[in-house]
Amino acid sequence: MTEMLTAVLAQIAWPLALALAWLAGEFGHRWLALPRISSYGLAGFALAASQGGFLPDPAGGPVALLADVAFALILFELGYRINLGWLRANPWLLITGIAEAYLAFYAVFVVTQALAMPLLPALLLSSIAMATSPAAVVRVVNEERSSGQVSERTLHLSAFNCVLSLVAFKAVVGYGVLSSAGSVLQALWSSLVVVLASAALGALFGVLVPALLRLLGGLARNATVVFALAVLLLTALTDAVKLSPLLAALAFGLAARQRRVVLSQVQRNFGALGDLLTVLLFVFIGAMLDWRQALAGLTLAGAVVAARLAAKTLACALFARLSGVSWRKGALTGLALTPLSAFAILLLEQTRHLGLALLDDVAGVMAVVLLLELLGPLLTRWALVWAGETRRREEA
Amino acid sequence: MPLAPFKPATALTMGVELELQLVNPSDFDLSASASDMLHLLGRDRFPGDVKPEMTESMIEIASDVHTRHAPLLAQLEAMRDALLAAGDRLNVALCGGGTHPFQRWFHQRIFAQPRFRELSGLYGYLAKQFTVFGQHVHIGCAAADEALYLLHALNRYLPHFIALSASSPFFQGVDTLFDSARLNSVFAFPLSGRAPFLLRWEEFEQDYFAKMEKTGVVTSMKDFYWDIRPKPEYGTIELRVCDTPLGVGRAAALACYLQALCRTLLERAEPAPAEDDYLVYNYNRFQACRFGLDGALVHPKSNETLSLREDILATLERLAPHAAALDSGAALEELRQVASAGNDASHLRRQHAETGSIEGVVDAAVRRFREESA
Repeated sequence: MTEMLTAVLAQIAWPLALALAWLAGEFGHRWLALPRISSYGLAGFALAASQGGFLPDPAGGPVALLADVAFALILFELGYRINLGWLRANPWLLITGIAEAYLAFYAVFVVTQALAMPLLPALLLSSIAMATSPAAVVRVVNEERSSGQVSERTLHLSAFNCVLSLVAFKAVVGYGVLSSAGSVLQALWSSLVVVLASAALGALFGVLVPALLRLLGGLARNATVVFALAVLLLTALTDAVKLSPLLAALAFGLAARQRRVVLSQVQRNFGALGDLLTVLLFVFIGAMLDWRQALAGLTLAGAVVAARLAAKTLACALFARLSGVSWRKGALTGLALTPLSAFAILLLEQTRHLGLALLDDVAGVMAVVLLLELLGPLLTRWALVWAGETRRREEA
Repeated sequence: MPLAPFKPATALTMGVELELQLVNPSDFDLSASASDMLHLLGRDRFPGDVKPEMTESMIEIASDVHTRHAPLLAQLEAMRDALLAAGDRLNVALCGGGTHPFQRWFHQRIFAQPRFRELSGLYGYLAKQFTVFGQHVHIGCAAADEALYLLHALNRYLPHFIALSASSPFFQGVDTLFDSARLNSVFAFPLSGRAPFLLRWEEFEQDYFAKMEKTGVVTSMKDFYWDIRPKPEYGTIELRVCDTPLGVGRAAALACYLQALCRTLLERAEPAPAEDDYLVYNYNRFQACRFGLDGALVHPKSNETLSLREDILATLERLAPHAAALDSGAALEELRQVASAGNDASHLRRQHAETGSIEGVVDAAVRRFREESA
């Protein structure tokens, strides 16, 4: 009888976890005003086998691929909202983006060195720390339906720092894996090829899919499904040929937006499909974490999170007035850039095929991710509320 | 608070207010950016007046007092350029048009100012549905009675302004089949419509306003959403039926049309206005909203049915000497072309047909606002 129960439980582990996480998201949102994704992540963490739950380690399985798809959809949506023309009109924004990303890298690197972390993990952690999780900011902005400079800038800066972080991370991985083999130059070269090829493939989709949509004309006035299918295909394709699905999806969205071949409405969050996959994505991320390792790296994590937060807030505030907003809104933008988890985890997860278990090796990553899993979306939400860019509750 | 005394102004001076849309250039939805725009604009001297409106996705500009077309147009263009420059730095696009084609009113955020919050509390969803964008034109009047005379003498010409300015065919994502869907939102308010037929300021003040005030329904002229209302503090009458046109040039032309019309009406060569003129008023107004320039017009005196387009062209013809005296020939010529070639509403419908998408309509409006510098 117990055996049968266990077997059934194993069969329904994921759907059950998703349902529980969804419930947690709704209640957390209603009672504690928590962003839903924070609750999803915590539910995933609590239900994972490493915490004694029933959810098996999802790494490498089909759920991991689904999580990739979920994340790719969000990255596509982010790319679709980026206006590259803005950078031409306001170069100070580009400077802000570069400054906050590299200042975060530098600040985290200094902290890790002060805490005597070995060079390679320190570099990896620092390059990860540059990025803001696009999944978290897109979801929180959509959830709050916020609109204004802090929202817009957070989305744009998140896209930039992800690309910068990805390039830095690939470079460090390439350097780290192959430096022993002697050919550093070749390592960097192959990283560069991965980055460029992924972006090119995404851009190609960004040209072809809108062209197809135009060909279909009135048949596909709501392009949501078409874009979702294209993202699915792109993710599977890049995964198969060991390119970066994340960068490809972002480039896809960017190219589709900039070319403006068709002007069609894409549902926010990809509608109900996106909502469902987001639950899966954040449960997946939560389930990757192990409390024992998290606990071990807690001191380091606290220092890293604080340094990163300070660096991003400082850089954004510094260039705020030059880029056309008040220093307060600049600082709030920096605060809103706190989320990290989804991006970091998927980045690390994808290096598994290189024979690296970075998630386990880079001490402190677990703790950083866990800390920011809850804190990141919450800080983003607060920043948007403090900036007055969300709808007030009484008007909802 | 009793009605402010009517402060006489120089006759036939004019001023223009335009409510403009703030749009996100990526998804073309309304962007709640008024505070950010005002912050940035506050750093430099703005070539005119700029202020917040009811919702965060709306911004209002106002010109100074002008007597001639060219300086009015120049100021509107200077304000437009300042707005565009600020918008470029903040990733905010601007456009005209009486409605946003697909925004959902329940998503709008009310600008954080006590008066706007009060209105929102009183009118509920009407206040948010009121996310519509109009042009107001003020005409200076030398005396209070003159203002009331002009206000009522204009009743027969009101549909002209609706049809010429109409730029809101789409609302909540659909083609409403109206050229000006915006006015339907305005009519929902209890104190909208026409002013009471009173031609002497004393009567208006004592027999109407004071009584209304005593009922507690209104506290100031601001509570009336009439098509034309007097503005005693400025010494003007204010025409409020125009949709915000897609370009500022059209806005200047409409103001000059009103100015020239008032000049001819003040000659008092036409039969004086009468209460019975208003028998056909709502019908005529509906025709102009629904069919634009293709609408019909029932003449209030003769009761004959006229083509709105023909009537506008004939009126423009008749105004030629006045336009010459006011240096506004170019403005009236532009309106003559609108009357023959079509208004902004038909332009937007063409864009919708070409691009096949409602976002394409906003994109076209954004481009028109930026381009039109002729």
